[in-house]
Amino acid sequence: MALFQRTFDKRELRDPGLVRTVFGSTWLAPLWLLARLYLGYQWLLAGSHKVWGEGRWIAVDGPDGLALKGFWERAIAIPEQGRPPISFDWYRDFLSFMVNHEWYTWFSWVIALGEVTVGLLLIVGAFTGLAALAGAFMNFNFMLAGSASINPVLFVIALLILFGWKTAGWIGVDRWLLPALGTPWQPGRAVSRLGGIAPGERGDELVPERGTAQA
Amino acid sequence: MKKIVALGWGVAAWAVVAVVASLLVFNMGDKNQVLMFLPILAVVVAAWGIGELVTERVFGGQEERV
Repeated sequence: MALFQRTFDKRELRDPGLVRTVFGSTWLAPLWLLARLYLGYQWLLAGSHKVWGEGRWIAVDGPDGLALKGFWERAIAIPEQGRPPISFDWYRDFLSFMVNHEWYTWFSWVIALGEVTVGLLLIVGAFTGLAALAGAFMNFNFMLAGSASINPVLFVIALLILFGWKTAGWIGVDRWLLPALGTPWQPGRAVSRLGGIAPGERGDELVPERGTAQA
Repeated sequence: MKKIVALGWGVAAWAVVAVVASLLVFNMGDKNQVLMFLPILAVVVAAWGIGELVTERVFGGQEERV
């Protein structure tokens, strides 16, 4: 019993100063801005091809998402020689299910509009962490489907932005949006006013500002 | 009233960023990624400046995010 108590006793393991600086200091916000703009631009560009122009995926004559259907069919195909694009059987079954049930007709809208939305949110820096998470999830799925392209690079950048969610949108809408909305564990000013609770009332812990003494 | 005007400036500034980025990317595609990146960066910096000079001055005082 004492062994478990010693191992799992509630302790907070603090990150080293360098990690805290890189992912939490507003001083490095310009660096995160460049990463955010690059990622946002790539998503907006990818989405623009799907919602606009001759080769668009949606709002076309006939059923939507035929391009997506072709992508899925190529991904689930098992060649006579060599390795199939998809390594995991469960993912191939999942894509096969979506092809057989013609989910590409509405899923193409989800992907096309999702890419544009993620791109715009990253560029303006609104809900930056959530946008990066959504982008990383799409990269993850494209890679599972056997499409490498620039997905690994975008995935890593999205993960880094996700870790730096507090400052990645500092030169952006998040500068004002996050303090107003807060987080689920610490309501912001606007949410607190609506719910009749004081800002930070539900917060588990408040980190004191640098230079102030800890109680 | 002062707060609504400041909020309006902030929202409008970032809406312009979204519109400019969309117009650039949708019309130019990936012809020149550097040439496209610079105007997007410029409007973001402009919107940030408006936020600092107008919105932040009225709303001010940020809490730490934990």
